[in-house]
Amino acid sequence: METQNMGDGFRTARTVLVVEDESVNQQMLGKILGGSYVCEFANNGKEAIRLLMADARRYSLILLDLHMPEMDGYEVLRSVKKDTVLKRIPVIVLTSEKDAEVMSLQLGAVDFIPKPYDLPEVILARVKRTIELSENRDIISATQSDLLTGLFTREFFLEYVFLHDKSYPYVGKDAIAVNINRFHLINEMRGRDFGDLVLQRVANRLRAYALRQHGIASRTDADTFLMYVPHVVEPDKLIDELVDGISDLLDNPRLRFRMGIYPSVDRALDIPRRFDCAIFACNSIRGDYTKPIAFYDDKMHEQETYNERLVNDVEKALERSEFVVYYQPKFNVKGEKPELTSAEALVRWNHPELGMIRPDIFIPLFEQNGLVHNVDRFVWKKAAMQVKAWRDKYSVTLPVSVNVSRIDLLEPNFLDDITQIAVTSGITPADLLLEITESAYTDDGGDIVTLVKALRDRGFRVEMDDFGCGYSSLNMLTSLPIDVLKLDIGFVRNIHTSERDYGFLELMMDIARFLSVQVVAEGVEHEEQLALLKKAGVDVIQGFYFSKPLPADEFAYFIEQKLAG
Amino acid sequence: MVTINILKEYGANTEEGLERCLQDEDFYLDLIPSALDKESYDALEAAVKAGDLDSAFDAAHALKGVLANLALTPIYEPASEMTELLRARTKTDYAPLMQKIWDERQRLIDMAGL
Repeated sequence: METQNMGDGFRTARTVLVVEDESVNQQMLGKILGGSYVCEFANNGKEAIRLLMADARRYSLILLDLHMPEMDGYEVLRSVKKDTVLKRIPVIVLTSEKDAEVMSLQLGAVDFIPKPYDLPEVILARVKRTIELSENRDIISATQSDLLTGLFTREFFLEYVFLHDKSYPYVGKDAIAVNINRFHLINEMRGRDFGDLVLQRVANRLRAYALRQHGIASRTDADTFLMYVPHVVEPDKLIDELVDGISDLLDNPRLRFRMGIYPSVDRALDIPRRFDCAIFACNSIRGDYTKPIAFYDDKMHEQETYNERLVNDVEKALERSEFVVYYQPKFNVKGEKPELTSAEALVRWNHPELGMIRPDIFIPLFEQNGLVHNVDRFVWKKAAMQVKAWRDKYSVTLPVSVNVSRIDLLEPNFLDDITQIAVTSGITPADLLLEITESAYTDDGGDIVTLVKALRDRGFRVEMDDFGCGYSSLNMLTSLPIDVLKLDIGFVRNIHTSERDYGFLELMMDIARFLSVQVVAEGVEHEEQLALLKKAGVDVIQGFYFSKPLPADEFAYFIEQKLAG
Repeated sequence: MVTINILKEYGANTEEGLERCLQDEDFYLDLIPSALDKESYDALEAAVKAGDLDSAFDAAHALKGVLANLALTPIYEPASEMTELLRARTKTDYAPLMQKIWDERQRLIDMAGL
């Protein structure tokens, strides 16, 4: 038997149910279709329904005569249409009468084969086409929706956006991206089922909104939702609806959402690109809980173009050594006179066309795409070589701290790689202080703790950077393998003007003492800050009060001073 | 025994009939006796005689369909005419048309020696 090829070479024999009371007609259809399909026969409507009910999935198509004893073709069509399972089977009506066609169509028939059965090859082609369309439809309905939320998956969503534009060419549309802030924490702390429930609630609200506005909605990955709707006049109301959908599940539901809107999209842009813009706007307010909505505008477009430029130029910049490492001194202030104790390596990008670029511009960007690892490795190498160079020149060892991003920690050979860098530069791991931001511990949990333990076993010293702005629990802090707590700059900034902030500082000092770790404060600019930090018991100070970050040759001045006593 | 030549001589449009049977002569010829099955004709006649126009229409329609498929034009034509009259619920004397149908049926049976 020849089988129907359903694309990708997938061939299988389909079964066609021929419902026809005349034996001659049955035999002729069997003859026409038998080379390509398995034909089963029912002599009347009742028999057909019985066969269909027994095993509906077996049949790819029903060929239905209208005039039959017992139960006629119209009755069969009505029964098939009513049944949720049967109605997925396409029905072609066999008829010699034009008049019958309208009614059959209304009752759900997809096509007609005229009697007598002229042009058998046309009959075969119609059968084949009908089965193909029906199976494609089944495949589409099985894959177009996200199982968890029932919203469109990304590919289908983008396809439907295209169709939507075709249907409504003159209606201004917004591309919208919605994200749930720190969703992974919801999953981690309340379990996956709870996280799924939150996603479903959000999806339901988005779906209802999209339906009302004659738009469409999609879930593209974990907690990212996209919508394409006529221009939204009051986006706050949409946020209100989303908040309302989860308010019984989560505290502070208003802080849970961020939404990026690319308003009145330019249709000259590719469809995926329009949503990139919405996502870009959405990501621009990541971490800013005061602002749930961001619009993609010209300024943002410039920013995005600038970012794109930076991303494109990284590789070349590394080859051409455009990244330069500056060093900011750290002073131990426990004694009477501040004493140079180490330095922090800070990277700058001396871009040939864009000028000197600060790390707070490019590091967060490169953290998003993993490029930060290449830059960090470059800095580690430079810093290690600098420690060695100073030791060779001055016979002193001045440890340098370097930043280790959470992306670095995910690199499979990170541990060996950074050890290798220290060894080949001719220094020991103890000469490199590794600054790992607090949020890396809280976001990734257990694996990081194990890795940091391994780093310390190899002799590296580990500083917890930005301490105070992450979400460490006290319980977690006690189990963390760290040598130094580095206070977040936000806590230091106002200690001389805010009693409350100073109170916080004392609290954190208590924690540090409990953990028996050294405390470093960065961002110190004023003498009053220094005095208060000293009073609170901070060990090491870094900041403009002593010096801004300097190129290595200028930094040497501090070493020479130290040597001079 | 029925043959293509006999059918041609009888007035059947064998080209059409064979086309519908994918040019399979044996298959086509095997179907012919079924189209002459007396029961179908009896059913039609009984319904017509009883004045049951609905049943008569169903029977005529079914018969017409089979005759059309096999391209047995001489019987098909009166059967078709009768179907259309019955579809319109025409109150008329159906006996002459019925007789024509019987006659044409019998003519083929005789020619083919069935």
